[in-house]
Amino acid sequence: MSSSREAITFRANVQKALRDPMLREAIKRATDTFVTKRTEGIASLPMEEWREKASTIRMKVLDNLPQYVEQFCASAERAGAKVYQAVDAESARRTVAGILEDRGVKKVVKAKSMVTEEIHLNPCLQERGIDVLETDLGEYIVQLAAEAPSHILAPAIHKTREQIGKLFAEKLGVDYSDDPTVLTRVARNVLRTEFLTADAGITGANFAVADTGSLVIFTNEGNGRMVTTVPRLHVAVLTIEKLLPSVTDLPSFVRLLPRSATGQMLSSYVSVITGPRKPGDFTGADELHIVLLDNGRWEILKGEYREILKCIRCSACLNVCPVYRAIGGHAYDSTYPGPMGIVLTALLEGMERAHPVLDATTLCGACVDACPVKVPLVRLLCRLREASVEEGFAPLLEKRGMSAYGAVVSSPVMFAFGQTLARIFWPFAQKLSGYGPMSRIPRPVARAFRRRML
Amino acid sequence: MNNDRVVSLFMENATKCGAETFRAAGLDEAQRLLDDLLRNAKSIFCPGVGEKERALVIPPEKREEDYREASVCVEEVFGAVAETGSIVCSSEGGRVVQAGLLPPHHVAIVPQERIYETVEDLFALWGQDIPTNVTLETGPSRTADIELTLTIGVHGPERLTIIVAP
Ligand code: SF4
Repeated sequence: MSSSREAITFRANVQKALRDPMLREAIKRATDTFVTKRTEGIASLPMEEWREKASTIRMKVLDNLPQYVEQFCASAERAGAKVYQAVDAESARRTVAGILEDRGVKKVVKAKSMVTEEIHLNPCLQERGIDVLETDLGEYIVQLAAEAPSHILAPAIHKTREQIGKLFAEKLGVDYSDDPTVLTRVARNVLRTEFLTADAGITGANFAVADTGSLVIFTNEGNGRMVTTVPRLHVAVLTIEKLLPSVTDLPSFVRLLPRSATGQMLSSYVSVITGPRKPGDFTGADELHIVLLDNGRWEILKGEYREILKCIRCSACLNVCPVYRAIGGHAYDSTYPGPMGIVLTALLEGMERAHPVLDATTLCGACVDACPVKVPLVRLLCRLREASVEEGFAPLLEKRGMSAYGAVVSSPVMFAFGQTLARIFWPFAQKLSGYGPMSRIPRPVARAFRRRML
Repeated sequence: MNNDRVVSLFMENATKCGAETFRAAGLDEAQRLLDDLLRNAKSIFCPGVGEKERALVIPPEKREEDYREASVCVEEVFGAVAETGSIVCSSEGGRVVQAGLLPPHHVAIVPQERIYETVEDLFALWGQDIPTNVTLETGPSRTADIELTLTIGVHGPERLTIIVAP
């Protein structure tokens, strides 16, 4: 992702994605699988009731966020963690780098975290001579290939097993294999050594609990547990909206998150981590540092798009989105793809850069139906489109076209004339355009409705 | 729900998630199950902290003190949740939660009376006084990151065996 203010070249990215049959096949297979699993996983469950409850809890968090942030900081410190508040990406990177450098850390193992992608933490640490290793298998593959994740949960779904086999053979010096089991074993062995020799672990958090100061981390592979219990130092980076009021709110999300994400009843591991290792404990890092990041969230919270902060990053809206399913994650050129990603990108990176991706939605509403916390994605997307026009980001042709259309439809004479023209020119337009979008415009009726009424 | 039904629900859900489950009528039976399971084990880590761990016999020649080197971890875990089929590992009482994570095979002895029906019931036990680490473990470690092919045993155990014992 580039951090420039230049507009995302969305149309060109889409053309590229659509011309890559392997990519399309991979994305289709992945999203189909997730959607089917989710549908099976939630069948015969009181989903509506659960969603309503979860949405209410998330709204409560947003309505009282300053209070929960304060409470979380106090309880986490009480549990022995050190909490830092960072306003933006730059200060978060500096804080993390400072913690690591002060302790002479040379090697860090990381569990998947979108926030650290958002703030570009890895390059910053690498520049300072710290080795950073992603340990989620998908992230590890993407890191080896020097690419960006294409899905927030399955970062490497855009790659085929053959590509991964070649990548491992080339970068790790192992024999080529395209068997996922063999490849997984290779990664397990390589990463096991890294876990045992790393000086620190960096994670995000799926949730943070205000009343206990706990961090909650879901993983299937077990890397989240490794990273938080094997190295002596644990640094967690998370944004303020990850908070939940109380540990009693956790069960709702334990039920909803994995089901909405992969259709599983529960991820293999859910860890609730409260402070570092205490006297008498034999589990946990010796030191726990929590970097609580704003990076634009307070601003979003004050505005009309605040409900996007309810999002728990389950990725259900990506998997059901007809646009995401056709083009995959890279075309969005942002940390966050798919419906929720469009909204977040526009708010976090500004309209100037993000306005082209506002086209990446059909407004069909599948995302709203799938969302476990009822984020009104369609409403937010429509409002952002309006805002982009108001701020003058509509393409010139669209602007001219719209004002011409406005002039025509506001005058009955012009409108009638337009209808006549449409009838006359329709056959020519059909011939000229072949199979283009024009061919899908229905034939104008011989006698317009208006006339029949007169 | 009475305890028997909670136990069956737990075993049913844990099996669905890929764990092997056994129910022992008493410690004798648990020992027999364990002997069978450990017959081919190379090296076994057992913390020997819990009551049941102390009552069970692990072949001394196979004992391994460092869980990072062991091929099997046998331990009495804190409890379980029926609703999700999860075993619950907690750092309370000096337990090493990560010991069940590193070896390829995790054998968890679950005290029958500590199987809770729902996730709410579990967290209600601690209230705000929660231990440093509480981990719900549901089935073996897994990934589908390569072409969505389910592969078992990434960073955690590829085999999870649960013995419910009174
Ligand atoms: S917006 Fe809703 S569906 Fe999309 S990732 Fe967030 S929580 Fe999931």
